[in-house]
Amino acid sequence: MKRYDCMKLLAARLKDELVILSLGASVDEWYNAAPHMREASLFQQQLGCVTPQAFGLAAGLPQRRIISLDTDGGMMFNLGILATLGNEQPKNLFTVVWDNECYQSIGGPPTHTAFGRVDIAAIARGAGVENAYTARTLEEFEAHCEAGLKADVPYIVVAKVAGTVQPDIKRKHSDGREDKYIFVRHVEATEGIVIMGPSEHN
Amino acid sequence: MKQSSVDAVIRGLKKAGVSIVCYLPDSLFKQLYPALDADPDIRTIRVTNEGEGAAICGGVFLSGKRAALIMENSGLRASVEPLARMGLGAGIPVVMLMSYRGELGENNWWAIPHGITMEPVLNALRIPYRIVREEDQIEQSIVDAYNWSYNAYYHSAIALGGEIVR
Repeated sequence: MKRYDCMKLLAARLKDELVILSLGASVDEWYNAAPHMREASLFQQQLGCVTPQAFGLAAGLPQRRIISLDTDGGMMFNLGILATLGNEQPKNLFTVVWDNECYQSIGGPPTHTAFGRVDIAAIARGAGVENAYTARTLEEFEAHCEAGLKADVPYIVVAKVAGTVQPDIKRKHSDGREDKYIFVRHVEATEGIVIMGPSEHN
Repeated sequence: MKQSSVDAVIRGLKKAGVSIVCYLPDSLFKQLYPALDADPDIRTIRVTNEGEGAAICGGVFLSGKRAALIMENSGLRASVEPLARMGLGAGIPVVMLMSYRGELGENNWWAIPHGITMEPVLNALRIPYRIVREEDQIEQSIVDAYNWSYNAYYHSAIALGGEIVR
């Protein structure tokens, strides 16, 4: 199963949601697979930060569906967030873990999921996220997207994907700071709120 | 902490517009955490480590709500990587309120590293901070931290020490 194919299936279901996504090749893949979600998606550079940030966003905007596109390496960097989700039970957070069993962006050395013992979905269930599943086919993945996007409990799908990158995709030119401004202005416009307002004087 | 200091912290948070607090509990603030939990205007989120709390606070910032990360100052060390990435890499601010473990007067050997490293770590990250030891400065200091962070879009910190926490 290719990550890019999964992304296209997920993207086709998204409209008003907000997305926090992990670093690496999946960033450019996501912006190509979901061009209509460009302003509504923010990539974060730090392993272990993606789902926590998405959860913070979900806590602040409880009426809005939030998507976390995390990774095996990122989730294992901070497994504690699974216990936090288990206790907090956010009603509006759908988490996808792209599990390619490697640290792809640095050339592909294996993560702990590569050896057949570590099961992130099982860890999530043990942490109190009852709806945590592993998808190995596009059909399974799409079914979990459908269920996860309308669930009123935290929902996690670990997508077992190949360690390959979609060829010939456009690169994103913006940095983290520009991405933040694009995302914040989108949240402001769609929520009718001010997050980064004017100073006292110009 | 005296009840009057706990009240001053909560007044400051509310005056600054904070509605979500992430915390990992510690002993010096032990009276503060249940008071935050009991406050109807503040949602508390217990976290497994302070770095996770920093990242959740970053997400709350993106929602337009205001969050605080409350912890012992040792939590600053656990938060350095997400703070550096979010603050320096994206301009996503986190305001921290920490108890000052390890300052002069400390009588626990294990807390000495917290005192030795707090200010150098804050300075390494270029995070402005204020050490508050007088109760009547708590409220305004918290408000000042939010004003600064919401203009700089960078982290700031208030450390409560001295008789406030002992």
